[in-house]
Amino acid sequence: MSTANLLNAQFDDSEDEDDFNPQPADLSDNEEAGGSDDDAGAQLKNEASRRDDNGPSSNGGRHASDEEDEGEGDDEDAEGEGEDTAAGANDDEDEDEEEEDEDEEITGHRRKRRRERRNQFLDVEAEVDEDEDENDDDEDELNEIKDNFIADTHPDDVADLPAGGEIDDRRHRELDRRREMEASLDAEKQAEILRQRYATKNRSGRGLGDSAVVPKRLLLPSVDDPSIWAVRCKEGKEREAVFSIMKRIEERLGTKDELAITCAFERGGTQSTMKGFIYVEAQRQADILTAMDGLMNVYPRTKMMLVEIKEMPDLLRVTKSPTLEPGAYVRLKRPPKYAGDLAQVIDVTDTGLELRVRYVPRLDYGLHEDVNAPSDAFGAKRKRATAGPRPPQRLFSEVEAKKRHAKYLQGNPNTKTWTYLGDEYINGYCEKDVKIQVLTTTDVNPTLEEVTRFASGAEDGTENLDLNALAASLKASTANASYLPGDVIEVYEGEQKGVVGKAVSVQGDIVTMAVSEGALRGQTIEVPVKGLRKRFREGDHVKVIGGSRFRDEVGMVVKIVEDRVTLLSDQGNTEITVFSKDLREASDSGGGGSLGQYELWDLVQLDPSTVACVVKVDRESLIVLDQNGQSRMVMPSQISNKLEKRKFAVATDRTGSEIRLDDVVKEYGGEGRSGKIIHIHRAFLFLHSTTHNENAGVFVTRTTGVSTISAKGGRVAAASAGPDLNSMNPAMKRNPQGNTDMPPPKFTGRDRSIGQTVTIRKGPYKGLLGIVKETTDTNARVELHTKSKTVNVPKDALGFKDKISGASIDPNSRGGFGGGRGGGAPRGGRGGFGGAASTGAWDGGRTPMASAGTERTPAWGRTPAGGANGGRTPAWKSSGDGGRTPAWQDGSRTSNPYADGNRTAYGGGNRTPAWSSSAKTPAHDAFSAGSKTPAYGGDSWGSKTPAYSGNDTWGSKTPAYQSNSDNQNQSNGWGSAAYDAPTPGANQYSAPTPAAMNAPTPGAYSAPTPAPYSAPTPGAYNAPTPANYNQPYNAPTPAAYSAPTPAPQSNQASGYGSGAWNAPTPAPMDAPTPGAQQGYYAAPTPGAYSGMPETPAANWQDDGPRYED
Amino acid sequence: MSENFVPPGQQRNLRACMVCSIVMTTSRFQREGCPNCEDFLHLQGSMDAIIDCTSQVFEGLITLADPSKSWVAKWQRLDGYVRGVYATKVSGILPEEVIAVMEDEARIRYIPRDGSATEAD
Repeated sequence: MSTANLLNAQFDDSEDEDDFNPQPADLSDNEEAGGSDDDAGAQLKNEASRRDDNGPSSNGGRHASDEEDEGEGDDEDAEGEGEDTAAGANDDEDEDEEEEDEDEEITGHRRKRRRERRNQFLDVEAEVDEDEDENDDDEDELNEIKDNFIADTHPDDVADLPAGGEIDDRRHRELDRRREMEASLDAEKQAEILRQRYATKNRSGRGLGDSAVVPKRLLLPSVDDPSIWAVRCKEGKEREAVFSIMKRIEERLGTKDELAITCAFERGGTQSTMKGFIYVEAQRQADILTAMDGLMNVYPRTKMMLVEIKEMPDLLRVTKSPTLEPGAYVRLKRPPKYAGDLAQVIDVTDTGLELRVRYVPRLDYGLHEDVNAPSDAFGAKRKRATAGPRPPQRLFSEVEAKKRHAKYLQGNPNTKTWTYLGDEYINGYCEKDVKIQVLTTTDVNPTLEEVTRFASGAEDGTENLDLNALAASLKASTANASYLPGDVIEVYEGEQKGVVGKAVSVQGDIVTMAVSEGALRGQTIEVPVKGLRKRFREGDHVKVIGGSRFRDEVGMVVKIVEDRVTLLSDQGNTEITVFSKDLREASDSGGGGSLGQYELWDLVQLDPSTVACVVKVDRESLIVLDQNGQSRMVMPSQISNKLEKRKFAVATDRTGSEIRLDDVVKEYGGEGRSGKIIHIHRAFLFLHSTTHNENAGVFVTRTTGVSTISAKGGRVAAASAGPDLNSMNPAMKRNPQGNTDMPPPKFTGRDRSIGQTVTIRKGPYKGLLGIVKETTDTNARVELHTKSKTVNVPKDALGFKDKISGASIDPNSRGGFGGGRGGGAPRGGRGGFGGAASTGAWDGGRTPMASAGTERTPAWGRTPAGGANGGRTPAWKSSGDGGRTPAWQDGSRTSNPYADGNRTAYGGGNRTPAWSSSAKTPAHDAFSAGSKTPAYGGDSWGSKTPAYSGNDTWGSKTPAYQSNSDNQNQSNGWGSAAYDAPTPGANQYSAPTPAAMNAPTPGAYSAPTPAPYSAPTPGAYNAPTPANYNQPYNAPTPAAYSAPTPAPQSNQASGYGSGAWNAPTPAPMDAPTPGAQQGYYAAPTPGAYSGMPETPAANWQDDGPRYED
Repeated sequence: MSENFVPPGQQRNLRACMVCSIVMTTSRFQREGCPNCEDFLHLQGSMDAIIDCTSQVFEGLITLADPSKSWVAKWQRLDGYVRGVYATKVSGILPEEVIAVMEDEARIRYIPRDGSATEAD
């Protein structure tokens, strides 16, 4: 029926009865309308009125009658009629239903009928009818009353209404009528009324919504209800999605885009099986698609599923989370230091949302605090402090706290209550109020070992472990109670209590068991895991499988108390008590040589500064040998963590050769023990020797105290193991070492090839370009340019490339240098540089020199040494200049190849004139700048290098030179350009000066360059060169540099000569000379010098521009 | 206009009314009280009452667009409440005196929202 009709009809009724019982009638009117109308607003109003309407007497009566008539429990009807009148209204109601649609015209007739059907008591109604007519005329008044009722319908208020006498009258009559009626009803009916009245009172107050009145089973969804779809949602974003939907709903409210969904909800949560979905309620699926369109994290277009009607209530099922009682065990989630630690509930607040718990603290009492860190440093620093392994669990010790942190400690020693760093410690435990959110309350599953920590706290030392609380915690979590088919199990709870049988299959939480004893014998029943426990008999041979510290222990059951089983272990003949769930019938016996995760020879961390190697494993303890050589017994709990074996750990022995795991080394000095390396930890080696018994053959040494005996896999043991080239060098033999022989600086440290660009010349990666990342003696790890991959390549398969020009550099030269000759290393450096400076290999050479004065020094120093060796000097050339220089100086002598070489360079350039004066020029020509040039500059390292490198001895070099001659053509080509080339020195000059040298390192570069060069060139190479080199390199660097720099430009040769030069000269002379041409050297030097400065100057300047050109 | 929306950053401050299960931020409870239960809970401006009568531990958010038509609302006994975000489960125990006030004066029977009521059914 439509609202309008209803209203009309009811109006009539109420009018009819106005005198009689107007108030209820009005109410019913209103209620009926509201009830049948789904409009929310009306409903709300409804409730409001209903709530206020709970007057005990009248209301109750009304409801009573109501219920009699309408037992169906239909919500809306119930609601509407709930407000109906008491006795008379009953009939009215009936009438309403029957004759809703009748017109007013037939009112009279209806009345009659009604009256006839009515009780005798209600005769009075006749009067009402009459009154009603009066009222009919007075509809306004009626409405007013009605409004009042709606606005304020509480019966108490009715009395206060400014209604006319009629109302009072009416109420009197109503009361009378009710009394009469009640009196007349038989006892049974009365009882019924009372009961319902009572029930109604309760009912109407039960909740705010009308459905609160109705039991849930009557709320089950029907086909008329909107359907629910499951919509995919990003996991973990369910809540956000729900809020976004809320936002969208509200934003579009009242617009034409208003969302047609009625509701959306999520049941996410980390443990939930319903995560990854949100559920949307709507009449049509299309509504959902529209509503969810473009919503973040919600994917309505993939796999939207309709939820079946009968499953809908399950979506909203909530189960009460178990309440925590004091004594229960929980696990902490936060702070991270305690994450996962067991805690015991001490107290629970009223709301059940906050708990007081105690747990075993993990404190280091500031032991590993960075004392230098500012106390109020930024968080980052703080965090780093906590990043390490967390301290082991130990009861609070005020003694330790006082050591370093006395200022943070307050408390009373008598009560054993302390406040330390803001936390409260009682009886050694940390007590804290925490929110339930930071606790894991389900599946706590404490192990006996953990629990015993809470048990030993009693004053008298007795263990007061509350096994019941523990058992409760354990049983609550069935998660890892693992049953396997074949386990003998017993039902200890529920209807089937006492049934014993064998598990047949296990599916989730349900175990199917074949009953073997009792009345059910032979049957197969299914029981939930919750009520099950494993059953053992005394004498059974069992193995501990669970999470207790006795894990893997095997023994014989000697006693069973409930689900606690005591067994006598096979190994130690000790009694162990564990829960039966942690046991299983044993098929094997004995445990391995491990305790928990720790095995023999494991490296473990005891505290942040102490590591130790496990040398013995007992059942409950370990014996470890720490890095200081002390052995001690520790409990597994004292170990903060196990250090995984680092297979690629490398250390160096006392000779600097690398040692790795499994290498055999021998102590140097001491007992001279030898052993195989089982761990390398920082500077400590844990060695294992089969010839020692102590500590299971394990002992500790420092890496610096051992020497390699054999390396695993036959690695080249050490650089020092290579052939002693010195002893093979005839030059060396010829010239007994004097002070002239500068010991080559030891070449350790970074391999120069690291960082170099190389091509791989052999093997599967042949032809690929890469950069050397790491090296060993024989191998290099090359990061390929082509694909991001680092491969291991033998060093001899590498071709070194200039980083910029891509020109090849001879790797061997480096190798050679690095290896045999002390001086080689620096050269290598140069070589590298040469590569860098496109001009020529030499340039490269210089660069390094320039850049690092000190480096050069050795380099140069070596040069002489090299010279001594014979091989190098030539290689040097630049340095060789030194060697040559002498030649120069000698002038005549020099004129020979060397001098030529040098000169050529210069001479070819501007110097020629200068030279000419010296008459060397011809020499130059002869030499042809070309010849040398090619050697140096022209051919690029590659060609020469081999020559050089290969020729360690002079002899070899000579050929190199010769080769130069061969290259003369090239040299021609070089000609002017070659300029540089010829004199390696020159090359350096030329190249560097304009480009690299001058510009880049103005100070260093310019300085050295000019100085050495200038010097050499004019003065005859020899002198200056060595001088320069030596000088600048050695000590003078600053002075020399500073001076030289200007020198070149201004030709400070003079100044130079006197100052810098002089000094160097002798030194260089001596040194280099021996190597190359001692004789030359000595003599020329001075001469060269004096003369040289100027010359070079001149040359220099000239050269400079030239080069630039 | 979207007064019931709570940005993700604020979602840690949410609380749910233990009576009607509406979920709002603490500050909104303090500012406006509970839109459904303010008559007897008197949460507005009273932090103590908020702490007693609302809970931070709740799960299963429901956004209710149309309380009168939704079956979910009916099932959760939310019909008649205002539009907004509700929880399916609110943990926590309402103080007894609050329950007493509610049942005696407001004549509303308290239905715990923590799941214990469901088990009783």
